[in-house]
Amino acid sequence: MVLKIHGHAIAPLVRLVAEVCREKEVPYELVNVEVYKGEHKTPAFQEFQPFGQVPYIDDDGFVLYESRAICRYIAKKYASQGTPNLVPHEPKAEAIFEQAVSIETSNFHPFALGITVEKIIKKHRGLEPNEARLSDLVNNLKAKLDVYEVILGKQAYLAGSNITLADLFHLPYGTIVFEELGYDMLEDRPNVARWWKDITARPSWLAVKAKA
Amino acid sequence: MVVKLYGFTTSTCTLRVAVVLKEKNVPFEFIPVDLLKGAHKAPEFTAHQPFGQVPYIDDNGLILYESRAIGRYIAAKYASQGTPLLPTDPTAFAFFEQAASIETSNYEPFVSGLAWELKFTMWFGGKTDEARAKSLQGQLSAKLDVYDAILGKQKYLAGNDITLADLFHLPYGAVLLDIGLDEFSSRPNVARWWKDISSRASWEAVKGGI
Repeated sequence: MVLKIHGHAIAPLVRLVAEVCREKEVPYELVNVEVYKGEHKTPAFQEFQPFGQVPYIDDDGFVLYESRAICRYIAKKYASQGTPNLVPHEPKAEAIFEQAVSIETSNFHPFALGITVEKIIKKHRGLEPNEARLSDLVNNLKAKLDVYEVILGKQAYLAGSNITLADLFHLPYGTIVFEELGYDMLEDRPNVARWWKDITARPSWLAVKAKA
Repeated sequence: MVVKLYGFTTSTCTLRVAVVLKEKNVPFEFIPVDLLKGAHKAPEFTAHQPFGQVPYIDDNGLILYESRAIGRYIAAKYASQGTPLLPTDPTAFAFFEQAASIETSNYEPFVSGLAWELKFTMWFGGKTDEARAKSLQGQLSAKLDVYDAILGKQKYLAGNDITLADLFHLPYGAVLLDIGLDEFSSRPNVARWWKDISSRASWEAVKGGI
């Protein structure tokens, strides 16, 4: 049975899972969840995803949620096909990979997500952005990207010479901040710009942006 | 050569690594970094940890930072000693990754935000943003209701065995309890789980500071 991704097509983390499925040449079916009608908050949905969030997957009856966990699961299960070594196995490479994944969750995601909440999610709810908080988030993200600039001056990708999930994890919220919201944080950071251009040009990501 | 842990004696992220080292019976040398003097922003430090944050480890020349990455590295390298903290079965491992991600997305942002607003901001001359603290507490409360449902069906966050994912909750959970914010006791399954993980010898050994 084809892997089912439960979520809505424009949700950033649904797109992340779709991207990784494409990287690993894993066919999938997107099962729409009517988030604008609150379907994700219904008991029927929360039986599978108790936090009431998208996405979750159903892999022939095996249900998993948390997009980064799903991506790791796909990368490991289909290790021998598609883009290789999205999760490295060799102990030292794996350690550096885990460091890179954690860099994304602690030093990128909170700020990129925060900016998205202030500028997009609040708007959907008819609320005004907290300008002071937004300014802090933007400044913090820029300071973090200054460090990315140093790291990516020594190596092509966040975990070393090869692309891994750690790089791909930046795609959904990075796209929102740098492309959809138009924050220019790359022009003064040529190594980050190089890396961003590389990962956003991947056919898997372009395909998901066109149609998840 | 013994693993060297560079950090701050009571820093949440330093303790997150220390509890794993203890749980795996891995001896280590603690090298204090004087945060109050800005040692973590000095070039000698940022040469190893470019974000200027504690902790990092030096394992015989391998430098690693990000406390959860260090925890995973230690748990994997020393899999055969101490408490098993990473499942070997692929299905169980997928549930471990789910639990580890639950901690980083559904717990960490709220507990660290609250710890900042209610405790740490004052150390740097700031004051509590009451509205933000209230919002974070409301969100944490809702998340812990879900934890209570999950932990009503299984002993730990990834299943019936303890994993790294459970231990990762300890440092900020302890900070909040210490300042009087108790979102655990009122939720019976969360309370049971918290009591279990926080009474482990490994946590008792480090919780007061290394």
